[in-house]
Order: sequence, then structure tokens, then C-alpha cells
Amino acid sequence: MKIHLLNTRKLALFGILAALCLAIQLTPRPPNVEFTSFFTFAVGVIFGALYGGFFGCIIMFVNGFLSPYGFAGLVMPFQMIGMTIAGVIGGVYRRLMPGQIDLARFCTETAIVGAIIALIYDLVTNIGVGFWFVIGGMDFALAMLIAIAYGVFFSIVHIFSNTVVFGILTLPSIKALNDLLGRGERFG
Amino acid sequence: MVEKRALVFVTLAILVWAISISSLAAYFYLQNMMYTKQIGENQQSLNKTASNYDELMSKYNILLGEYSILYGIYSFPSGNFTSLIESLGRLLDSLKGNYSSLLMDQEDLNETYYTLEEDYELVYKESNVTREDFGRLLNEYYDLFNLLAVRELSLVLSQTVTLNVNACIDYGNGTINWRNETERMPAGSSLFQLTQKISEINYTYYPSMKPGHVLVDSVNDKKTYTVDYSEGWSWIWYYWDAEEQKWISGPVGCDAWMLENGGIYKWRFEHWSWP
Repeated sequence: MKIHLLNTRKLALFGILAALCLAIQLTPRPPNVEFTSFFTFAVGVIFGALYGGFFGCIIMFVNGFLSPYGFAGLVMPFQMIGMTIAGVIGGVYRRLMPGQIDLARFCTETAIVGAIIALIYDLVTNIGVGFWFVIGGMDFALAMLIAIAYGVFFSIVHIFSNTVVFGILTLPSIKALNDLLGRGERFG
Repeated sequence: MVEKRALVFVTLAILVWAISISSLAAYFYLQNMMYTKQIGENQQSLNKTASNYDELMSKYNILLGEYSILYGIYSFPSGNFTSLIESLGRLLDSLKGNYSSLLMDQEDLNETYYTLEEDYELVYKESNVTREDFGRLLNEYYDLFNLLAVRELSLVLSQTVTLNVNACIDYGNGTINWRNETERMPAGSSLFQLTQKISEINYTYYPSMKPGHVLVDSVNDKKTYTVDYSEGWSWIWYYWDAEEQKWISGPVGCDAWMLENGGIYKWRFEHWSWP
């Protein structure tokens, strides 16, 4: 009975997080300032790599159709892969977390993880953009170089915003989510 | 001793920084390559224009020199114009030889040249060429020569400059067809050339009319007509005066009006009456 209650609670929480994340993701906002990777990472930390990956994948799938920037097209699978990686990183990070961790250090680490997630996500989606150029007849290597190089300014904004978002929000969010699931603290 | 976990995160942070900076460097490298290529192409285009300009000017100077000699003789009070008329014929041949491609390409100039040639033939057949006849031919020659030189110079410019113009055709029955910012014309094009490009026209060439010799008889099968000598319907052209913010009726024939970049032109089928 207790396990069933926990599972239902987890499922409900997963659904609420997905709805919240989608609502924020579909709201018009400055390009490359987003909270989806943060939510995905948090889900990965709380529920594990598999759930985190699934969460990121499904959010980007819906976003691909409903985004305020229009239909994502060929880039959508790459966005899904990128966000899946963010969720998996959350799960991996949870496994590698020490028993006790200093709060400042946790914030610093998650800020760095946020930056690396943004970087990986941008590289993967830029490769998707590069495929557009390849389909247009451009040489493969040149297409990838152009896609990555010309996406650099968006990427820098993304890395910076993710660093800030992860550094500030991860700790209180994980704490709150852990409390909701009735888990013990591992911080401080 | 720094612990392994801290080292991993420092390495990750450095990795993010290094990849971002490398992408930034790649961006500036690509931009630099693109601009260098563009500058190279522009320079090549300018060199070609300069070379064509030199060629054109030397041709112009030679023809002008030939005309000047003939004009000098004509100006001399006791000239024998019957013997001079052959020199004018050679001048005409020389003009045709030097501007043959332009005369072939541009209908209005071609028409002007053949009208001049016909006039020349008529005068040539006369046993006694008068000073007035010779002077008139010489003037017509000079006008055409200058027009050809201007058009050819414009064509040289058009290798590097194209004009974006807007045009509309108002059929006078409420139907107005606009061609917005779609017409890219070579520099030096006349309204007549633009009209030919955007519509099917019939026209009449009037040698005695100046400046511009062309009157448009129909646009896209809509023909001009007169009820009697005092009223009718004709195709009239206008240009948009941006300062005055109004349409101004064309002051010259459409073949003499040179297009401006960003210019807005209108052909209107409209009623006229006289007086």
C-alpha cells in the first residue's frame, strides 16, 4: 500500500512537472533562455536517468509542434536527443552525488552541469541545423562548421542563462521535490 | 591535495569555455573569409568597370574627334556641303560600327539611328545639299551619338549597379496592377524598357518628337483611341514625387526618362479633351 501511494505520488509529480515545464517552454521568452533543461535535469536527479531522459524527450516532442517559434521540423529529433541527454545527466549526477555535500559546492557543481548541458544541447541541435545545409547541397564538414559557428551567440546566451538558472534553482527545487516525495535530505 | 571530483568539474568548466571560444573563433574566421571573398569580388567588378570605362571613353573621344573635324568644316562659312555629305556618311557608319550591339539591343535607339540614316539617304540623293539640311543631320547625329554614349556608360555601370523600381498599370476602370520592388533593372534603363519588361506594348515612333520619340499605343491589349480630334483615351505615364508626395505627369517621352533606384512609376489609361 505504501509503495502504491509513493508511485502514485511520483507519477502525479512527474505529470505536474511536465505540465509546468511545457507551460513555461511554450511561453514566449528571449531566445535560448529556457527552463526545460533545468526541469529535465531535476527530474533526472529525482526520478533517475530513464525518467529524466523520457521527460526531456517528450517535452521537446510537444515543443516541436507547439513552440512559439513555429514547427521545429528536421531539428526536432535533435532537440529531443539533446534534452534526453540532459535528463540522463541528471540521473548520472544523482548516482555520483556524495552522501553529504556542501551547499555552495552543490550550487557550483550544478551551475557547471547546467553550462555543460546547454553546450551539449546546442551542439546536438546545431548539428541538426547543419543537416539542413547538407540537404541543401553543402559539403558535410563545412555545413557542420557553419551551423556550429553561426549558432555561437545563441549558445553563449544559453550557457550563461543555464549556468545562472541551474546554480540558483537546483538546490531549492531538489530539496522541495525530495520533501514532496518524503525523501531525506543529503545536503548541508 | 585537490580531490578528483573538483578536478572533474573544473575540467568540465574549462571544456565549456574552450568549446565556446573555439566556436566564436570559427565564427569570426568564417565571417572574415566571407568578407574577404566579397571584397575580392567587388574589387574585381570595379576593375572590370574601370577597364570598360577606359575603353568606352577612348571610343567616345575618337568619334567626338571625327565629329569635331566635320563640324569645324561645316562651321566654316564657304563650305561645300555636297562634298561633305559623304564624310557624314562615314561618320554614321563609324557610329553604327562602334555601337552595333547597343543599337541591336535597344529598340528606340535603333529606330532613331535608322530614321537618321533614311534622312541622310534622302539628303545624299539631292544634287545640291544645303547648309540647313547638312546642319540638321549633323545635329541629329550629335544627339544620337551622345545618347548612345550615355546608354553605353549606363550599361557599364549596370555591371555593378542594378535599380529596384516599383511600377503599376492603371487601366482606368478600377483595375490597377502593381509590380512592387520586383523589377530589377540595369542602371541606365529607360521607362520604355521597364514598360516593355512588365507588359505587352505597341507603340509609335515619332522622329520629330523630342525628347523621347515613343508614344505608347496599347498596354496589354488596351488600345488608345480618339473620339474626334478634341478628345480621346490615351496611356499617360507618371512618376511619384517623394518630396511633394504626389504623382507627376511625365514631362518627356517614356524612352527619354531614365529610371531611378527606388523610383515609382505609373501608366494610366485616361481620358483627355482639348481645349
